[in-house]
Amino acid sequence: MVQVDNSKIILRLRFKKVGVLKYISHLDLVRTMNKIIVRANLPLYYSEGFNPKPKMVFAAPLSIGAESVCEYMDLRLTEKIDPELAKSRLNANMTENMQITEAYYPETKLTDLKWLSYTILIKTEGASKELADKCDAILSSDVIEVEKSAKSGNKTVNISHLIRSASVVLDGEIIRINCTLSADQSEFLNPEYVIKALRTGASVLSADDITKEYYTVMRDGAYTEDMAQFR
Amino acid sequence: MHNEKLSSVLRSVQKPGRYIGGEYNSIIKDKDTVKCRFAFCFPDTYEIGMSNLGVRILYDVINKSPDIWCERVYAPWTDMKEKMEEYSIPLCAVESGDAIKEFDMVAFSLQYELCYTTALAMLKMADIPLYQKDRGEDTPIVIGGGPCVYNAEPVAPFFDLINVGEGEEVLVEICNLYNRMKDAGEYTRASFLREASHIEGVYIPSLYEVSYNADGTIFAYTPLYPDVPKKIKKRIVADLDNAPYPEKLVMPYIETVHDRIVLEIYRGCIRGCRFCQAGMVYRPIREKSPEVLCKSAKCLYDNSGYEEISLISLSISDYSRLPELTDKLLEWTDEKRVSLSLPSLRIDSFSEELMKKVSSVRTGGITFAPEAGTQRLRDVINKNVTEEDLMRSVGIAFRGGKSNVKLYFMNGLPTETLTDIEGIAELATKVVGAYFKMPKPERPRGVGVTVSVSCFIPKPFTPFQWEKQDTLESLSEKQAHLKECITDRRIKYSYHDAKASRIEGVLARGDRRLAPVLALLTDEGAFLEAWDEFFDYDRFTSALEKCGVDADFYTTRGFGLDEVLPWDIIDIGVTKEFLRRERDKAYEGKTTPSCAEKCSGCGANKLGGKNRWCK
Repeated sequence: MVQVDNSKIILRLRFKKVGVLKYISHLDLVRTMNKIIVRANLPLYYSEGFNPKPKMVFAAPLSIGAESVCEYMDLRLTEKIDPELAKSRLNANMTENMQITEAYYPETKLTDLKWLSYTILIKTEGASKELADKCDAILSSDVIEVEKSAKSGNKTVNISHLIRSASVVLDGEIIRINCTLSADQSEFLNPEYVIKALRTGASVLSADDITKEYYTVMRDGAYTEDMAQFR
Repeated sequence: MHNEKLSSVLRSVQKPGRYIGGEYNSIIKDKDTVKCRFAFCFPDTYEIGMSNLGVRILYDVINKSPDIWCERVYAPWTDMKEKMEEYSIPLCAVESGDAIKEFDMVAFSLQYELCYTTALAMLKMADIPLYQKDRGEDTPIVIGGGPCVYNAEPVAPFFDLINVGEGEEVLVEICNLYNRMKDAGEYTRASFLREASHIEGVYIPSLYEVSYNADGTIFAYTPLYPDVPKKIKKRIVADLDNAPYPEKLVMPYIETVHDRIVLEIYRGCIRGCRFCQAGMVYRPIREKSPEVLCKSAKCLYDNSGYEEISLISLSISDYSRLPELTDKLLEWTDEKRVSLSLPSLRIDSFSEELMKKVSSVRTGGITFAPEAGTQRLRDVINKNVTEEDLMRSVGIAFRGGKSNVKLYFMNGLPTETLTDIEGIAELATKVVGAYFKMPKPERPRGVGVTVSVSCFIPKPFTPFQWEKQDTLESLSEKQAHLKECITDRRIKYSYHDAKASRIEGVLARGDRRLAPVLALLTDEGAFLEAWDEFFDYDRFTSALEKCGVDADFYTTRGFGLDEVLPWDIIDIGVTKEFLRRERDKAYEGKTTPSCAEKCSGCGANKLGGKNRWCK
């Protein structure tokens, strides 16, 4: 079978991955998505070689335990089809916790995505205005040191320049953090490091008991370098 | 899954995707409107249970009834089990996240003997009393089924009801009876079980008394009431073409063991290998037609997105219409980039043509099972393949680009001597030789032969059911001898743990006196023992000792030809006379032709069933 490659036809999909699907790893997401796009019967472009695979590229992998309403992937097709049709066919083949919210032919590259915003909720018995303020102060400081594991061993790094903005407020029994973190491929900041900084600096989430303390992470916005909505 | 506590512990366990449910094609019903909630439990991990064809079929069949909601339950990994204990989370069903203690039926698929303690541990985690006699009116009916229940005696005291044979029809009949009795206000556990005992293929262990002779052998099984059948006849589905087969598969988010479409081609086996339990208990042979299979495959592809179809049955190449089926499938699979795989090939029917049709690029290996090292012993076990067959097959495999050949054998077969052991090494050496005899340009690079040897267990309902199981000492001597005989570094040798086989032998051949041993092991924390890392031989032997049970009695002693066997309560259709005849022929070194060549009068034809071979 010969596939004529005049101009690459790339369909961009924005999708959500919420609820229990936060426990699905990126690798499993890729496998799952592979089956979804086959079921949806889209005109998929397959790679050449012994083991042909559809071409899919994902932006900024989400770590296990985090939900998202703004995941992006590019899917290569062999012909241009109506994006709305693609969206509805895909959604019919997905569960309610994973649905396409937008499908379009993009004018940007996935690498233009530079910043991601998150809402982190910490439910703790010790929630107070003072604790929220303390967390806020930690995240607005010029030096936010966390330990990162690397091949060469653990090292302490300053992540403050990777946090574009962060605010912490008390919301009933919950500490609510809104933050915008670097999504640049070379300096991607996992929100787990924000939690880590607060764990060390403000002793939150130190109880080893999920009935007393737990947290949730939701990725809820994607931006370009100059903080315009990524599309 | 809507269980919040369960959801929040998932952050701290390995592979949380095992526990979340919500898979595409999983079935959600309104729990307030269904009449019967059915928990289908698999006593092993999600990855293994999700791959099981029986579970896939029965989940689909049971859920076709609007009155019944069948949900799946798997054994958690040990880290999750600890968390569940820490936070008092009972065993839950995947779909609803509800505790299975609240269900009407809790059924276990018993696939291998070493899963027994896992099943019991799951009952414990669910807070359901282990012993049938201790269960109250409000506890679920605990059901057992699967290949192990052809001798369910070691676990019989833990089950309310046992489904002997194929479950497609029986399980629904059981639930319908339950619903009817509940609706009519006639339900009590006792009255339901008594009534259920009249359904063909249903065994209610509590309705029988087992008595023993002074020497410890069984005297008799006595039904407690005259209306309870003296023997339980295995149930089969007569017409597989018209039997329900899933059109949709529950799609796991995480990778499972067999993550592909599995197409069941036929049930039963035309061969009569004398060591093989499956070959006897799944008789009579019933084939599906290529038309039905193709329709089924296309439908499953459309609904799953899997790009691999595996054709399964006990021996694929014995399917009478295989070329027709593969041609018909290849009409569309090639274009859709779907590959075919055939996992069970016999060396006497392996062909170049067949290999070209199956996925050949992805794996570099192929497996054959000569089972024994010499022709004499292969005749004893009625394997009916020759060295010539093997050499021809490996030649085809090498020419087809497969450089790794895996050979399966068994140690401890009846009449086996050290000459037979040496024969294994010689056969493997000849396979390596066959590679080097080929002209260099024709052969793939880097030949490798793996010799994998398991330990023979004389299984119930086989011609060898009366045989003595080989001792640990003798097996380890044989294993060591084979190791010495294999000198070629291109031959890799691996063998099964004889200790695990001994325990499997005890459980496969045991009677009800094993139940306290299993209960004790469960109390001592035995769990996921089918996993090497959790199997503990010493714990097993000490439990046997504490309960006063002698493992040799069930294994190395052998059973007398006139003795009442623990599994004599079950009628699989194949007669004891046939098994006895086959045993005699084994000792004479005489083979028996396959059903395709000549009917040997095994008796299974009396079960009925639409098939090509039996009259």
